[in-house]
Amino acid sequence: MVAVLVIEDDDRIRLSLTLALEDEGYTVHAAATAEEGLLRQRREPADTVLVDLMLPGIDGFECIRELRRADDVPIVVVSARDDTHDIVAALEAGADDYVVKPVATKELTARLRALRRRARAAGAGPRATLIGELEIRPQAGEVLLRGQPLALTRTEFRLLCELAEHAGQVLSRQQLLERVWEYDFGDERLVDVHVGRLRHKLEDDPGAPARLVTVRGLGYKLQR
Amino acid sequence: MIRRPGLRARVTAGFAVGALGASTVVGVLSYQLTERFLLAEREASAVRAVAQDARIVAAGLDAEPPDALAALSSLDTGPNRRALIRRDGRWYSSKADTANTIEDIPVELVGLAEQGRPAIQRVRVAGTPAMVVAMPLSGDTYLYEVDFMRELDRSLKVLALVLTMVAAVTTGAGALLGSWAARRVLRPLTSIADAAREIAAGDHSTRLDPAAEPELERLTTSFNLMVDQLSRRMERDRRFAADVSHELRSPLQTLANAASVLARRRAHLDQRTATAAALLAEEVARFQVLVTDLIELSRSDRHADRAAVDVPALARRLCQARGLPPDLVGTAPATDAIWQVDRRRIEQILANLLDNAQRHGGGVVAVRLARRDGAYLIQVDDDGPGVSPDDREAIFDRFVRGRSGARGDGDGTGLGLALVAQHAEAHGGRAGVADRPGGGARFEVVLPRVPS
Repeated sequence: MVAVLVIEDDDRIRLSLTLALEDEGYTVHAAATAEEGLLRQRREPADTVLVDLMLPGIDGFECIRELRRADDVPIVVVSARDDTHDIVAALEAGADDYVVKPVATKELTARLRALRRRARAAGAGPRATLIGELEIRPQAGEVLLRGQPLALTRTEFRLLCELAEHAGQVLSRQQLLERVWEYDFGDERLVDVHVGRLRHKLEDDPGAPARLVTVRGLGYKLQR
Repeated sequence: MIRRPGLRARVTAGFAVGALGASTVVGVLSYQLTERFLLAEREASAVRAVAQDARIVAAGLDAEPPDALAALSSLDTGPNRRALIRRDGRWYSSKADTANTIEDIPVELVGLAEQGRPAIQRVRVAGTPAMVVAMPLSGDTYLYEVDFMRELDRSLKVLALVLTMVAAVTTGAGALLGSWAARRVLRPLTSIADAAREIAAGDHSTRLDPAAEPELERLTTSFNLMVDQLSRRMERDRRFAADVSHELRSPLQTLANAASVLARRRAHLDQRTATAAALLAEEVARFQVLVTDLIELSRSDRHADRAAVDVPALARRLCQARGLPPDLVGTAPATDAIWQVDRRRIEQILANLLDNAQRHGGGVVAVRLARRDGAYLIQVDDDGPGVSPDDREAIFDRFVRGRSGARGDGDGTGLGLALVAQHAEAHGGRAGVADRPGGGARFEVVLPRVPS
């Protein structure tokens, strides 16, 4: 059984979400506050976390950062807020995906499945590749920069693998969305924010990227 | 209608007319004063000369027998003066060409002289301005002197010419001054116009400095006040829309989840409950779309956020998602694959046009992407009854159901085409509908192109 931690302060949403997800075969850990959710995750880690942004006490953004500090558990934001500002801030804090309420149960479970596949795919894949000072070991789920391991989330890792597989080629944001997030046609901000996060980890100067470069109007490219 | 000339043109013309008026008055006055003064001088000197000549002629006429011609020839008249004597009704002159001169001597002057009074009059003699002085001598003898004023006349003509030129130059200078002054006065208004443009473009932090133009302080102060209130109201509206959208989204999330739980158990419900659950689920789904569309419509003030989008690929995907063959999408030759448009908006434009054709137009016949006159063109053809010319504008209004008219005929919200129109306008474009050649309707969206 796949366990999902639902952090949602609205009692009715939490209860209905629990019922709907349990119907789809998930085990649900429900928490009304970020504090409660973080505690639960430490004691009894779930495989995926659904988190609201507006929470009493510790807010959603801080909660995501806190979860990220512990491990790379996939995090999906489920929020009624659809301001670009909030979305980008949540992704920058470390969320893997976000959906705006109201979201149909089918849609939500499709996202959760895609995330799970991404997590598993990180373990399989081609043999180790060496790109400049960057060494990617898909089987071990490891990335080394000058021999030092980098701490990447699963989404960041999948994104890097995808770019590495086509090193030297430009991949459009839509192609990356399809291959990493399994979106037919999704929000390109997901790609941009994740590329930004990846740069912070593997560029010497994230403001002037030398490895993961933007090709204006086309997409992104990992330099050979 | 004739357009009223601009403020600057009017100020310039006003200054020019003022300068022309002032310089004309000054010019005419100076001309007249100068002329009067010069003529008075000339008159005085002419009278003095005649008085002197009269003494000489009187002495000459005292001789026996009196000889008028001899008396005349003893006068030193110079080239500009001519002396005549009238004695017993006859004229005597020292020069040969006197016949014309005599004709030009006015009768009134002769009359005055014959009453024994010296007289002076200005006349034209043989086309030349001149002054005629008549001086009675003894008995029936009169001395006339004609003083030609060629130089004086020439001087006055030059003076008139100079004054006219001065008036013209003054008028031109007045126009220049007016134009400059108008520009100077309008400059603070230009900065207000710039500020207004920035505010219209969305920068609500723009304010004017009231100290910059003390005379315009009232205007700048009330302008700033207006902007303050406007941005406060917009901020309040924005927050209200955000609150409403949040307050609507949260219960909808609960409804959506609960409906899916019910739908999953439909098989275990009795017929009536199952029907009710299905109705609930359908309406929740429709309500969800309605709320999303309404929230979208309430953001009418937002500008299109243009980025590179592969529109043909997007159109094919959207067709596929609706069970339509992707080769319905035709791209005209020389049409760019990557368009600079708002990704979210273009997706809704295409999706709503496809949904509209499927719901109300008897299905999609073709989707055409092209370039026309520097704009992107999207056409969606359907196989329905078409839209009557009377409804072609209203169909893009909110909550107007098109041709089928009846409510409850499926899951449309009545907002789809309104959103299409709004998204087109956000790009500076427009949406419209026409007849498709061969029946059905042709919905068309035109989006101006911008350089990438």
